[in-house]
Amino acid sequence: MTLNSSFRLDGKHILVTGASSGIGLSICRAIIDAGGRVTGTARRQQQLSEMVRASGEGKASSIQADLADDTGIKKIASEVEEVDGVVYAAGVSKLTPLKFVKRQDLTEVMNINYFAMVLLLSQLLKNKKIKKNNDSSIVLISSVAQQIGTKSSLIYTGSKGAMSSAARVIANELAPQRIRVNTIEPGMVRTDMTAEMENILSTETIEKDRLKYPLGYGAPEDVANGAIFLLSDASRWMTGRSLTMDGGRYSLLD
Amino acid sequence: MDKDQFLQAFAEQFDETDLSVFTPSTKFKELDEWSSMVALMIIAMVDENYNKKITGADLREAVTIEDLFNRVHAK
Repeated sequence: MTLNSSFRLDGKHILVTGASSGIGLSICRAIIDAGGRVTGTARRQQQLSEMVRASGEGKASSIQADLADDTGIKKIASEVEEVDGVVYAAGVSKLTPLKFVKRQDLTEVMNINYFAMVLLLSQLLKNKKIKKNNDSSIVLISSVAQQIGTKSSLIYTGSKGAMSSAARVIANELAPQRIRVNTIEPGMVRTDMTAEMENILSTETIEKDRLKYPLGYGAPEDVANGAIFLLSDASRWMTGRSLTMDGGRYSLLD
Repeated sequence: MDKDQFLQAFAEQFDETDLSVFTPSTKFKELDEWSSMVALMIIAMVDENYNKKITGADLREAVTIEDLFNRVHAK
C-alpha cells in the first residue's frame, strides 16, 4: 500500500511503556509495521522477549523495569537510546466505590498511571534522550473515563484526569523544542486489564455496556492506529490535545 | 465468620431497602435496589471485612444471602 509518507515512522525510534501486553504491545507492533524501531519496557521479561523476537531482527529491543520505583525509571532513562517518540501505555485499574477507597489503592494506581509517567518523562529529558527540533512526539494513553463519571471508577479516573491535565502543561513546556505531547482517550478496549474487570462485574453488565457503543468495543489495534498518527509527522501541528476513540459511545445519542 | 454480622454488613450496602427485608434466605438479586454498583459495594465490603476476594461469578451463582455467606466462608 502506498501511503502519504507523513503517516509512516521510517527512521523513528520510539520508547513504549507497558509493552508486554494489551494496548502497549499492539502499539509496538504497529510502530514496526509503520517502519519504526521500538524499545519496549515492562516488568515481565518473558513477554518482552517475545515481543522483540516477533518484531524481527533489529526492529525492537527491550528494557525490563518496574515503573513503580525510581530505580526502574532511572534504568529506562539511562539505558534507552535517544528517541523520536515516547508512548506511555503502562497502566493499572481498580474499581472501588468511594466508601471503600483506601490510601494504598489510590497510591498504587496513581503511582503507575501518573507519578511514573511524569517522573519517566522528567528523567528522559534530563538525560537528553528525546530528540529536539525534530518533530518528536509523546503520546500518553489516558482514558475517556476522565471526561465522564463512571460509578466506582474514581481511583482510575482520577489518575487519568491527572495524566490528561499534565499532558497540556508538558506540551506547553516542550513546544519550543518541537516536542509534541498528546493523549489518546479510549473507551472500552478488550485487553487483559478489562477482562479482569469483566470478571468482577459479570458478563451481563459488560454486555449491557457494550451495546451502548454504536461501533462496539474497541480492539487494541484501533488505539494503536491513533498512536501511529500522533507519533508520525502527519500530526506535526497537533500538541496539548486529546484524541478520543470510543466507538461513538459518549457523543452519539439515540 | 459470623453469619449475623455478614448479614448486617450486607444490608448496610443498601440505602433504600428496609433492614427488615434482609434475612439469610433473601434472594438479593430480586431486590429493586440491586445494581452493578451495589454488587461492587458487596465485593469491596467482603474484601475490607474478611480480606477475601469474591467475583461477579460468585454473585451470579449465589441466590440467597446465605449462599453468598457460604461462598465467602469457603474461600
